[in-house]
Amino acid sequence: MKLSNLKDLQTKALAAALNVKGREVLVERLAELGLPSKKSEAYRYFDAESLFAKEYKTLSYLPKTIDEGEKIVIVDGVVASAPKGLRIYYEACEQIDLEHFDPMYYLGHLLSPHVIKIEIDGDVELDIEHHFTQSDALISYRIVLYNQSNRHATLYEDFVAEDIENTLVLYGYDMHIARDSTLNVVKLQTMQDKQYNMIASNRVNVAKQANVMLKSFDLGGDQGLQMLKVDLDERAHVEAGHLLYLNEESKRGIVSQIIHKGEYSTSKQEAKNILDGHARGIFDALIRVEHSAKYTKAEQNSKAILLNEKAYMVAKPQLEIYIDELEASHGATTGQLDEKQLFYLQSRGISYVEARKMLVIAFANTLIETVKDSRHQERIKEAFESVFYTNH
Amino acid sequence: MSTSIMDIQNLQAKIGDKAILKGLNLQLEPGKVHAIMGPNGAGKSTLSKALVGHYDVEITGGDIVYKGKSIKEMEPEERALEGIFLSFQHPVEIPGVNNAYFLRTALNAKRKHEGKEELNAAEFLRLMRDHLEMLGMKSDMISRSLNEGFSGGEKKRNEILQMLILEPEVIILDEIDSGLDIDALRAVSEGINKMKDGKRSFLVITHYSRILDYIEPDYIHVLKDGKIIKTAGPELVAELEENGYDAIEEA
Repeated sequence: MKLSNLKDLQTKALAAALNVKGREVLVERLAELGLPSKKSEAYRYFDAESLFAKEYKTLSYLPKTIDEGEKIVIVDGVVASAPKGLRIYYEACEQIDLEHFDPMYYLGHLLSPHVIKIEIDGDVELDIEHHFTQSDALISYRIVLYNQSNRHATLYEDFVAEDIENTLVLYGYDMHIARDSTLNVVKLQTMQDKQYNMIASNRVNVAKQANVMLKSFDLGGDQGLQMLKVDLDERAHVEAGHLLYLNEESKRGIVSQIIHKGEYSTSKQEAKNILDGHARGIFDALIRVEHSAKYTKAEQNSKAILLNEKAYMVAKPQLEIYIDELEASHGATTGQLDEKQLFYLQSRGISYVEARKMLVIAFANTLIETVKDSRHQERIKEAFESVFYTNH
Repeated sequence: MSTSIMDIQNLQAKIGDKAILKGLNLQLEPGKVHAIMGPNGAGKSTLSKALVGHYDVEITGGDIVYKGKSIKEMEPEERALEGIFLSFQHPVEIPGVNNAYFLRTALNAKRKHEGKEELNAAEFLRLMRDHLEMLGMKSDMISRSLNEGFSGGEKKRNEILQMLILEPEVIILDEIDSGLDIDALRAVSEGINKMKDGKRSFLVITHYSRILDYIEPDYIHVLKDGKIIKTAGPELVAELEENGYDAIEEA
């Protein structure tokens, strides 16, 4: 399958090309938004067209018997194992957001008529491990996650690639965070070689008085983009943090929309980007405060450190506000390491090279330390240092 | 002076286009406390920066000879490893760098430079705890980020903690007393006095004489318009207090 063949197709032709029936609304939305290209606002800084021009083999997604295991393990889009008692099954997705800004959200749903549905019941910690084993493949799957009211769950997500190359992964979540509940999601991606590219298109619906914390630690190579749309109801809260460490020619980042719909909703989004080599980092983030969202508090910030003069950061923090009764701030900075801090460390006998490393790790740590669980915090720190020291 | 540990010879330096030090001469004697006093803008902080190789300061003439060798071309870390220490007037905050980790890295860099075995984490923590207690610092200083969110007094105590652990030979204290209450001033002074061993030299840069009540100086040098214009014993402090710096110029 070559995704570029879907370019500029109208609804009927698109439905035929994708071989889908009865999901016209989704096909219409995809046709309306168009396949991502350099002209698409959300994909302007990402080289989607080169990924879509490749020929990929498609995989069959026949559900297998789910083995019992400590983690949820998903191999090439199919659930292989899951903890005992967890409600996890395949089902058609009932609640698709028809206002998502990302065409790949709709393409993902169209390519995955049956989604992996996870119902979290109780205060739990879940590990999800995504395995990719196929080269030259288009791996497409979606996960729908529900948690229950008054419950507090945490999800740790990791990615493991076997010796593969030239694969494109399209995946993403529809998360429904129930009233008065909390969901923490911590995602760690460390793939360094050119094994697979990924577009992860997510939608997060946060109900009244619910809290969601989304933390992503992206230390990957090559191309990867996270698309994120968050809808906040009354007194709902989202805290999103994104750490990006890139080198060589990689292009990765986040494109997000956080939409305040309910009164007293709050959001805090923070990106820390460390760019080396010829890498390009992307932080294209919009916060929209709708008429219905009086007394909103929104905060957004991106900081980037360039370790090489050829590295490049695209930082586009944006606020779209329709009311007066709110508190909102946003900002972005891109620069080198702080020379005062460097000098301070050197003045204590620490070499310039070592001082630089300490400051880069410190910059990353300020975000890593927002992960409260010390075991996972340590694991992410180790992963970061391992990737960073490999390159320095 | 052949007995000096540091000999600053006709030092000229500028920051940007502005000449600040204009032929400064000063010899630091081993085991002595030298206090530099002077009005605002005289060049006191520029002198301290020049001695440790700060990037702001460009040396345009003269020399700094330390233990018989010119150090003016040396990198800041080399000067530190050789035993020169500056307690900063405004220590910078470094979020994400753990205080203990930073200080152990610095100490082990110095020990390695001296051909000594590096300290492991447990050995270092024991050493750090002993000093924390002596300085009246809370034990959470071990795990906090370097200077982040520290009060003015905590930052200065942290500078002294670093000095105690790194055991330098020439100690430059730039306005160490600024922003300290009386208890902090006493603790900081105790730390400094503990370092006096008859070999180490101190260069105490200050606006006010208050700190000199706690750290008894051997020499007072008056710095004005980029030069040392007078050197005398501790009795000069009283004269400065009474008549100010202008009177010294006239003298």
